[in-house]
Amino acid sequence: MKHTFFFLVITTWLILSFAPLCVADDQAAQDDGQTVSLSGDESGREAEKTSDRAGASPYDDDYDDDEYDYEDEPFSEERVTIDDPLEPANRAANIFNDRMYFWVLKPAALAYKFVAPEPARISVKNFFFHLGYPARFLNCLLQTDFAGAGEETGRFIINTIWGIGGLMDPAAGGKINLQKQDTDLGETLGVYGVGHGFYIVWPVFGPSSPRDSASFIDSHLLYPTSYFCPWYASTALTVFDYINSASLRIGEYESLIGAAIDPYTAMRNAYVQYRMKSIKARRARSLLFRDNETGQDATK
Amino acid sequence: MKAGDHNMKKYIFVLSVLIVLISAAYAAAGEPTAAVEASVNQVLGVLKDSKLKGPDAKKIKTEKLRIIYKSMFDEMEFSRRTLTRNWKNFTPAERREFVDLFEQVLEKSYLDKILDYSDEKIVFYKETMIDKDKAEVQSKIITSSNEIPIDYRIILKDGKWKVYDVVVENVSLVQNYRTQFNEILADGTPEDLLKILRKKVKDQS
Repeated sequence: MKHTFFFLVITTWLILSFAPLCVADDQAAQDDGQTVSLSGDESGREAEKTSDRAGASPYDDDYDDDEYDYEDEPFSEERVTIDDPLEPANRAANIFNDRMYFWVLKPAALAYKFVAPEPARISVKNFFFHLGYPARFLNCLLQTDFAGAGEETGRFIINTIWGIGGLMDPAAGGKINLQKQDTDLGETLGVYGVGHGFYIVWPVFGPSSPRDSASFIDSHLLYPTSYFCPWYASTALTVFDYINSASLRIGEYESLIGAAIDPYTAMRNAYVQYRMKSIKARRARSLLFRDNETGQDATK
Repeated sequence: MKAGDHNMKKYIFVLSVLIVLISAAYAAAGEPTAAVEASVNQVLGVLKDSKLKGPDAKKIKTEKLRIIYKSMFDEMEFSRRTLTRNWKNFTPAERREFVDLFEQVLEKSYLDKILDYSDEKIVFYKETMIDKDKAEVQSKIITSSNEIPIDYRIILKDGKWKVYDVVVENVSLVQNYRTQFNEILADGTPEDLLKILRKKVKDQS
């Protein structure tokens, strides 16, 4: 009994300690193969190149074989671009939104943050999200994501009753673990195969596209506060929702802009990447459209 | 009694073989995650270090973090992937400066974010082997109001797993910078890009 145990421990240890070495050897062999195939062909910089491998710095490598075109990269399908025929107008709207954020929204959010403690603000956020249930439910159905529609319904019931009308989110944690299905009409159209079209920056609402602008429809028509009378009551609630969410996300926009070399392009690309991946995730959940995802993508 | 003992031995043998096989498989699958997690834990160790306090704390922490991320990231791979084909239009000296400037931009942009860390939970939940030498490790930071998915794309080089792209909230940094650099280099020279980067670094400090 005792021997078996020691045998076990030692074998495990041996395997664990040698496994990385084997991988490393493989890698070294591959690297050597690569150096051979990488013979320089550009005459202009030949002088700066050193021929022996030990002295060659990676900066001297041209990598002008196909490897660094990244065409066959595993993530190449994610390389998605968007046309931007409205660029001048979009850039103007972008500047407008930037000013709006720094001059209006952020000061308001900071003041509000100062008064309202974080748990309260999170509850407010939960509540506004809770109200979006009809739109999310319908979109899940349209996407043929019936499990998602069920989860959303379960969340709505549980959070209405045990989450004090949606102020808290007991459905997300613990054993129940019903995850949010945060989706909209733009994503539904995306699941159906509608492309994003071109880039639009809406004043106030920010980055969008013709397809994603469809989300204004469901988020208005299926959002309960839209039907509040008088109209400014509903607008005031929307503004409150905006300020509240902003108070929980202060610093995010700043760091995106701060890290960017060209903020406009960075934002546009981030938007496109983000939407593309959410649609991909939605499609993977869809009963009807799932197959496109596992096999070769039909759109390619 | 005797027969039972024999069976027992056989059973233990089969079990031990199974365990060894399983643990070997597990070790092979968990290696990229383990590499990233180890680095992240090192970072957390520095951030949580209660001995580092006072006015100099930020500087010391920054120094310590720099050492960690130098071993965690493959900045060459990162830089090259953002430039793609444009890489060969740069002279070795320009490349060197580009990698250096780009690193400074990234450090200055993300350092404050990282130093802001206040005990949020970080969970590593999925690992996908993409190639023999490439993997994606998915993690999320759980804050009081939010969950931020962060995926690390890592590559095996000389026996070490190194990060070459970070995907924050579904946005790949490499791709994001690639579009920006492409746009600048579409009608500009490498020197133009370097100029912009130099200015950026100066403005940040």
